[in-house]
Amino acid sequence: MIEAREVQKFFGSLHVLRGISLSVQKSEVLVVIGPSGSGKSTLLRCINGLEAINGGEIFVEGAKVDPHSRDVHKLREHVGFIFQRFNLFGHLTALENITLAPRLVKKMSNTEANEVGLRWLTQVGLSDKAKTYPAQLSGGQQQRVAIARAMAMSPRALLMDEITSALDPELVNEVLEVVTLLARQGMTMIVVTHEMGFARNVATRVVLMDEGKIVEAGLPSDIFDNPRQERTKAFLNKVLTH
Amino acid sequence: MQIDTMIHIGDWLFLLEGAGVTIALCLQAMFFGILIGLIVGVARTAKTRVIELPATAYITIIRGTPLLMQLFIIYYCLPLFGINMPKFLSAALGLSFYTGAYVGEIIKAGLQSVDVGQREAARSLGMVPWQEFRYVVLPQALRVIIPPTFGFLIALVKDSSLVSIIGYVELTRASKLVVARTFRPFTLYLAAAVLYFVLCYGLSRFDVKYLRKKFSASLTGT
Repeated sequence: MIEAREVQKFFGSLHVLRGISLSVQKSEVLVVIGPSGSGKSTLLRCINGLEAINGGEIFVEGAKVDPHSRDVHKLREHVGFIFQRFNLFGHLTALENITLAPRLVKKMSNTEANEVGLRWLTQVGLSDKAKTYPAQLSGGQQQRVAIARAMAMSPRALLMDEITSALDPELVNEVLEVVTLLARQGMTMIVVTHEMGFARNVATRVVLMDEGKIVEAGLPSDIFDNPRQERTKAFLNKVLTH
Repeated sequence: MQIDTMIHIGDWLFLLEGAGVTIALCLQAMFFGILIGLIVGVARTAKTRVIELPATAYITIIRGTPLLMQLFIIYYCLPLFGINMPKFLSAALGLSFYTGAYVGEIIKAGLQSVDVGQREAARSLGMVPWQEFRYVVLPQALRVIIPPTFGFLIALVKDSSLVSIIGYVELTRASKLVVARTFRPFTLYLAAAVLYFVLCYGLSRFDVKYLRKKFSASLTGT
């Protein structure tokens, strides 16, 4: 349902994505790992049209992603994005954060949106925080609200950009548990992460990126236990031994 | 012949009427000024040069020249090009453009103070640009915009006395006229100052008591 063909991306003279091709099927969880600056986050942002690509093509459910088209918002309606820094709307309560887009974009009534919102708040274990503002929530709670906010739009796929990188270590698990649950329920996801244990648990397929290219792709067991590429081995050695 | 140096009840009423004119003048300058400010403020944040450049030029010119000169140009120079307007319109126009430039710059700063992640989050949820602006960016920018805007508006009430120069009868001009007849500058200018103070104080109370409370609620979480 998501397909990238030979995607190229430049930031000025910096060549960030050098011909990335990948495809994600329905209910698949693709985990993207790799060192910082390898282009993982940029790839996710391109898939959602937050960045324009300079070459190649990206398709989501057969529709071409073009951030300059008038219909790009329709695509985003169906593809949720979870940010590293949560990006909850600071002027709205947790519940209002979740219900804003369903009301505006899906034209839900207030009652209906509140119902959906509360259901998702309960799903992420924060039903008692409906009226709380983001500034008063912990990082882990904010990120769970962000997940609920994305899910309330009933997206067909979720893109997660290092969603636990900005969290204190003790708050990481509460977020990963929610994501694992969604994966079990068959949510299609592309997950960029540095949490290797989580990657291994949740992934149906793992991709290792470095310097804007895909170095190796395969089942989690293959990548983590029998990596074929030297680059993969070197990366895993670095992240797994500390 | 004897000069009547008494301040009659009619003089006081004349002064109050001047204050009323000052209020009317300022209210319309605030209304149109904020409208202009909103447009040029948003234009200033535009990535397209053709939109951004005129807005920047406007703000730079207005902020770089004295209000007095702007009023002179509107009142004395425009008629040379065949554009004649009543004094109220000249005064109102001058103050509106003046307000627009300052408020525009404040609005621009306010809009830019909203983290780009907020816009991206709005977009990623499928909102279209105007929804993103209206429901996500603007409410958060207002918290930053309101305090300095009111600071400016309070200064505007006092600056509006400059339009007396082009002969428009507002509070300052009204008090001058009464002084000219009664020779009681101390009493009358003091009275005018008190009236200005009441206007400015009212404005600042409205800001602090009402607006800031309304827009900072989500910051403190009350």
